[in-house]
Amino acid sequence: MRRRLKVYMPFLENQFKRNLAYKGSFYLFILTSLFGPFISYYLWSAIYGSSGGGMLGGLTQSEMIIYVFMSYVTSSLVTVGVSDAISDDVMEGTVAMTLIKPIDYRMRLIFMALGEALYRFLAPVIFVWIGLEIYKAAVLGLGVTPVINILLYILSVIMSIFIHLLFDFCFGMVAFVTTYMFGMNMAKEALLGFLSGQLIPISFFPQVLQQIFEFLPFSSMIYVPVMVYLGKYSGMELAFVLGRQLLWIVLLYAFGSYLWSRITKRLIVLGG
Amino acid sequence: MSENSMIEVRHICKEFVSAKKYPGLKGAFKGLISREKTHKLAVDDISFTIKEGEIVGYIGSNGAGKSTTIKMMTGILTPTKGTCLVNGIDPCRNRKKNAQNIGVVFGQRTQLWWDLPLSESFTILKEIYNVSDKDYEERMEFLNRVLGLEEFFAQPVRNLSLGQRMRADLGAALLHNPPVLYLDEPTIGLDLVVKDNIRAAIKEINEKYHTTVILTTHDIEDIEELCSRILIIDQGKLIYDGSLTDLKERYGTRRKVVMEVQDTEQAKRLPLNEYLGVAKDAYETQADQDSSTITISFDKNHLQVSDVIEQMMRHTQVKDIKIFETELAEIVKAIYKHSA
Repeated sequence: MRRRLKVYMPFLENQFKRNLAYKGSFYLFILTSLFGPFISYYLWSAIYGSSGGGMLGGLTQSEMIIYVFMSYVTSSLVTVGVSDAISDDVMEGTVAMTLIKPIDYRMRLIFMALGEALYRFLAPVIFVWIGLEIYKAAVLGLGVTPVINILLYILSVIMSIFIHLLFDFCFGMVAFVTTYMFGMNMAKEALLGFLSGQLIPISFFPQVLQQIFEFLPFSSMIYVPVMVYLGKYSGMELAFVLGRQLLWIVLLYAFGSYLWSRITKRLIVLGG
Repeated sequence: MSENSMIEVRHICKEFVSAKKYPGLKGAFKGLISREKTHKLAVDDISFTIKEGEIVGYIGSNGAGKSTTIKMMTGILTPTKGTCLVNGIDPCRNRKKNAQNIGVVFGQRTQLWWDLPLSESFTILKEIYNVSDKDYEERMEFLNRVLGLEEFFAQPVRNLSLGQRMRADLGAALLHNPPVLYLDEPTIGLDLVVKDNIRAAIKEINEKYHTTVILTTHDIEDIEELCSRILIIDQGKLIYDGSLTDLKERYGTRRKVVMEVQDTEQAKRLPLNEYLGVAKDAYETQADQDSSTITISFDKNHLQVSDVIEQMMRHTQVKDIKIFETELAEIVKAIYKHSA
């Protein structure tokens, strides 16, 4: 295990360093990505205002504000993907360069993505998060989030990162078949924003849809950790949602391994 | 598997299947609904054995199937049929284990990390291949001496010139001291001095570590300088497997004697066939007034070079003599044409 970490750690570091090298574009990305949660914030404020207070979808207005920003924090960490890297590798034929080395392709991609997630955690996630906690305590008067919730959230979000990565790896396998996947990627992102609860909490949907969404792995990516953070689960229910996250990791890992072994059998390396 | 054979390839085939494409815009739509497939046999029943420590040239025209064979031997592609063993390991079944045993340089691509300084790439490779500190130092010292890496060791790979990058890539492929080294066009696009350096390095590595080298190239000089044995592939089939000398023996029997003479006209008119006692079409004579040379070409199985020279010297004033063998490039060209 330690030896494996030593092999793949450089990929994590490498990705982290690469991000540092392209700072300009990254800060621009942060700035534009922050528009989203602020628009949601004003939108929900208007909705709650006109509904005359009270709960909507099981959330109070203050909880909704926390939901909006925590869903931003969570999705920043969770949506680091591997399918872009796969499609680049396939299109440029560089996948061969990984295959001639004694390393696992998926593991390499995962560690690269973790490097990216680490970078995003340091900028901007941690600042938005702290800002939110200050706002929560000083303006909303709710006090800071209990440590146990924060710890459970961290556990849940780490599992979310792996669920998304492993899902995205399976999705990226499509690139080997189609060799081009810009359109597919757009569709995936739109669907993910909707099904993961990133745009609207899943509790807002009709009961039937909620059950379907809960059944899919996407709700475990963003909705679950944010609800954990809000302290909406307790006891058996908490154990159940965390257990379900773990189950998704196992299932997606196995499915990815299966796809990979199938794909490599019929692999076509472009160029040369 | 015999004792010192490093690579064994047995009846290997690779077929590529792709959706059939039709020309034009109409064709693009047709392609959307059509299920027709085209099959292309890129490698067709190839077998060979390569011994430990050999340097083998693997040559063929563009699209002949060289790279496909190499990719099957590295474990990137799975053969459609046939088996392949590299150092006792099936590269497709055991890709990662095989990868530890091989070094690969694709001349057209780099395996180094584009954004990082070269030194970082080597540090990463050291971890990937699990090279011990002691081995790493020793290997780096050797590679520095042979390839001169330290002059650009701190630079990002994207800033390297093509020649530097190729040296770096070769170094990277050798860091873990693999028993087998695949070089896919390692001298492509390089200037003469760098080419010489690369060749010298390959030679030295082969001598010092007894590394088995498989080299594909379009540069005939690479073959002449490095390879004792060559495999020629054309349209997916192996059409020649043997030593370089044999190839020359078999196909390169033409000899050309160029003589600088006092009087080209007189020399040309000489009845050489009578002096030698052969038919008139056993040789061809060409005179060049400007350089005052006369060129006689013939098949060395029918005429002796020494006899030709002797007779010419006896009957005319010869100032200088040059003898040429058929060039390998011409032989290879002839073989490609012949099999097409």
